[in-house]
Amino acid sequence: MNEDVLPVETTETRTSTFPQERIRNFCIIAHVDHGKSTLADRLLELTGTVDPREMQEQVLDSMDLERERGVTIKASPVRMIYRAPDGQTYELNLIDTPGHVDFTYEVSRALAACEGAILVVDASQGIEAQTLANLFMALEQDLEIIPVVNKIDLPAARPDEVAAEVAALLGVDEAEVIRISAKEGTNVEQVLAAVVERIPPPSGNPAGPLRALIFDSQYDPYKGVVASVRVVDGVLRMGALLRMMSTGADFEPVEIGIFAPDMRSTGVLGPGEVGYVATGLKSVRDARVGDTITEAAHPAPAPLPGYKRLKPMVFAGIYPVESDDYNALRDALEKLQLNDAALTFEPETSQALGFGFRAGFLGMFHMEIVQERLEREYGLDVLFTAPSVAYKVRTTTGEELTIHSPAQLPEPTRIEAILEPWVRLEIYTPVEYIGPMMDLVMKRRGIFKRQDYIDQRRVLLVYEIPLSEILVDFYNELKARSRGYASMDYEFLEYRPGDLVKLDILVAGQPVDALSVIVHRDDAYRKGQKLVSRMKDVIPRQLFDVAIQAAIGKKVISRATVKALRKDVLAKCYGGDVTRKRKLLEKQKRGKKRLKMVGHVEIPQEAFMSVLKLEEE
Amino acid sequence: MKVGGQVDSVKVIPVKVPQVFPFPVQPAPQGWGLYLHIPFCERKCPYCDFNTYAGLEEMYERYVSALVKEIRRVGDVLGRPVVRTIFLGGGTPTVLSPQGLEALFRALNDAFAVQPNAEITCEANPGTVDRSRFQVLHELGVNRLSLGAQSFVSEELRFLGRIHDVRDIQQAVDAARSVGFENVNLDLIYGLPGQSPHAWRVSLQRALACQPTHISCYALTVEEKTSLARWVANGRVPPPDEDLQAELYMMAQDILEEAGYVHYEISNWARPGRMCQHNLIYWRNEPFLGLGAGAHACDLRRRWWLERAPHIYIRRVIGDETTVVGWEELSSQTAMAETMMLGLRLLQEGVSRSRFAKQFGVDPVVYYRSVVARLQAWGLLEVLPDRLRLTPRAYTVANRVFVEFL
Ligand SMILES: Nc1nc2c(ncn2[C@@H]2O[C@H](COP(=O)(O)OP(=O)(O)OP(=O)(O)O)[C@@H](O)[C@H]2O)c(=O)[nH]1
Ligand code: SF4
Ligand SMILES: [Mg+2]
Repeated sequence: MNEDVLPVETTETRTSTFPQERIRNFCIIAHVDHGKSTLADRLLELTGTVDPREMQEQVLDSMDLERERGVTIKASPVRMIYRAPDGQTYELNLIDTPGHVDFTYEVSRALAACEGAILVVDASQGIEAQTLANLFMALEQDLEIIPVVNKIDLPAARPDEVAAEVAALLGVDEAEVIRISAKEGTNVEQVLAAVVERIPPPSGNPAGPLRALIFDSQYDPYKGVVASVRVVDGVLRMGALLRMMSTGADFEPVEIGIFAPDMRSTGVLGPGEVGYVATGLKSVRDARVGDTITEAAHPAPAPLPGYKRLKPMVFAGIYPVESDDYNALRDALEKLQLNDAALTFEPETSQALGFGFRAGFLGMFHMEIVQERLEREYGLDVLFTAPSVAYKVRTTTGEELTIHSPAQLPEPTRIEAILEPWVRLEIYTPVEYIGPMMDLVMKRRGIFKRQDYIDQRRVLLVYEIPLSEILVDFYNELKARSRGYASMDYEFLEYRPGDLVKLDILVAGQPVDALSVIVHRDDAYRKGQKLVSRMKDVIPRQLFDVAIQAAIGKKVISRATVKALRKDVLAKCYGGDVTRKRKLLEKQKRGKKRLKMVGHVEIPQEAFMSVLKLEEE
Repeated sequence: MKVGGQVDSVKVIPVKVPQVFPFPVQPAPQGWGLYLHIPFCERKCPYCDFNTYAGLEEMYERYVSALVKEIRRVGDVLGRPVVRTIFLGGGTPTVLSPQGLEALFRALNDAFAVQPNAEITCEANPGTVDRSRFQVLHELGVNRLSLGAQSFVSEELRFLGRIHDVRDIQQAVDAARSVGFENVNLDLIYGLPGQSPHAWRVSLQRALACQPTHISCYALTVEEKTSLARWVANGRVPPPDEDLQAELYMMAQDILEEAGYVHYEISNWARPGRMCQHNLIYWRNEPFLGLGAGAHACDLRRRWWLERAPHIYIRRVIGDETTVVGWEELSSQTAMAETMMLGLRLLQEGVSRSRFAKQFGVDPVVYYRSVVARLQAWGLLEVLPDRLRLTPRAYTVANRVFVEFL
């Protein structure tokens, strides 16, 4: 150990709490990649929160996945102590949020723990879809907004123009917009000063009965559910018996502390503060995000307003590759849900895949992240089926069913109509890409609604479009056709009847329920053919010929054959080869484990995702 | 599984005491198979991933001296054990001088109790032999020759980067016969990109015309880090077509069987009674010693391997250090799996249930019952009163069977 390094302070036993008038709670919001996490880095440095030797880029993006992809997935709170130019010491609680549209729910929960928000806009990109979406959420919560134009160091930066746009949007003076380079640290102190000056201190009742809002949580095998909280009224302290107001679960806290940015025990959180409570609760159902913690001895009369639960947009089956892992998968999903409040799931059975779950996600990126987290954080081998939206079915007997997977579709004779979700789609694009955007949307059954000029260069296009049409590859196409300049946002509109049919895939003569998809009748033939040829490419050759067919009802519309494997044998194996050849075979065997046996046929994960690739090439 | 290494072992060994093996070697009461590796070739063939080097002529003499010393010290520590077969392989052993070969055989006969009827094979490249070299080998006691013919089609030989042409093969066979070699193997390679069934038939028939006692047919395989692998990667050469290889394999089966050869191993055919005794030791999972750079050995308790780089190998022998650089202890589970994976390569004799039971205390049909049942259901495995063997339809997909036992 280096002797110059002071032992890290792990506890900070406090007897009194920080005075509320010197607390500022705020989050950083922006469109994806506009520099939120980088700005957070500078703020952490300026306030000396992170040891310079521990500093790395986007230090708050602590999950491996976040670091690898350079994207924030989880909102992360951190407490900073700031000595302002006025000589006073302030406690600043910052929450860095994700910018990707699929993680809006993370942002909305973070907002509820704050009195202000720093709105970051990239000086080269200008206002984009999530800039607005997140701003509107912050305004709904009555937060004080500090507008910041970032990346002014970029050669393509247009700080004046973008600052003017932002000022116009907020109805404030251009001078209030702070121009910074988060990367180089330019003008970042001004941001801190503005936080202290403009954002109001928390206004809870310090003497009132305890009310603390759970805005996030995670699971720790030793400490149980660890809830991230914002204390609104009263004081949260060790020793008191606490209560979850909606579930009624009582618990004695195991640990109370702050994020600095690692968890640091303090034993107490005063009114207005942000920190965590390790509840010791083992059942994840007892500690819900959005619930209010109070004291069992002096309960608050009413809980804080919670969160409105988000309706997932996309559904997919999740199955363990090894059926023995079913319980482990359920456990993992429960724990993950604790940390990813937008995830939903319920048991589902597939004829082909056995027991699994039907899970709901906010979007495809969200789904991808869940898959990776299950594999990495829980070491599970899982198989995801093709994503689908939720359909409504009107039956001939007048019932209305909601179905989350094509397999749940009733017999064709019982179907009166199938309704699919439509969304309102907003695309922000420079004017020169209006044509390509129109084309993209029209090809996918979009209906043009409106076109508004934001300024001379940028325009807002509004469409109505079936949700299923924008799930797959739409975003990539949008980016590709606009050289990355267009951005989009969407919200659910309503269910509308559509001319939809179920496309079944038969493997070796057997329909594989997990491969069925619901498509528009006009696309059925084309998609069926593509799906079959895709499957043919991804299903490995087996010991026998495998027929692959696409069918609508009884009618086969496309077929192909995966020819039987002709050769899989090592030509030589002599004395010197044994160890190496055995290892090669062991590797081959491990590869096979990732295949799912459906009847006699081994089907790889890619096959279930084939439907996603239909629009490519 | 435990994998050992040189570093672990030197720590506990006092320096300079001649150290041949860093672990005790189990005796082989039935006798050893003995493999001797000569890591030199005149030119490196583009598809070859053996431990062999071109352009090291300068090193031949020192290598032979080191190998002689290694032979003597190994024979010494093992107490002049019985040897059932000797296989001189490479590389190209015939690049060595007659004196070099003679020194090796003298050492072998001094250090080991070579059984009088032992099969003694030498590999030879048709481009590096003449009558006198064969004469020397024959006089030294070599009684089996394995010739790397590879093909009887000139363009194919060029593609394979061979130093010989079609005529050299015929001449080599004639020369071998004339000095008294009766037992001759020809190696062939099939499934070259674009090879026609017709061309393959030509090679097979011309090989048969040489009347070898044994024929090996190997599917061209793209091994990592070879020139061929690079050519395939950058598109200069198409990858071998596995369907074509399967077709050509079946052709070989028909033609060679027709000509009276027994298909006794996945890639090997022999006249009755002419199976390669040395290779049978590997496939029956019996003990063998390996000497020379990169050689492997197995005493049934562990597999070990020697330093690959010839110059380091020489240095270690001269310095009285062990040449063993790694080993793997075999758990009984691994040993059983290997016995299956190797034994099932023997298409006629397969894995003997009684020998397996004697060695591991359990009948493989019992120990692997669910695997056996599955493979039988797939029609890939045949269960006979005393053996387990592949069904003919499994020959081309044998890996599918082997993996089940791992
Ligand atoms: N040139 C320049 N690059 C910047 C600046 N701020 C951030 N970046 C870069 O922009 C990219 C995105 O920065 P992040 O801080 O991860 O953006 P973010 O808003 O947190 O992104 P998400 O959390 O994924 O929405 C990174 O490559 C940063 O290095 C800046 O002031 N100047
Ligand atoms: S002659 Fe044989 S050992 Fe030598 S490089 Fe060619 S194939 Fe390899
Ligand atoms: Mg970020």
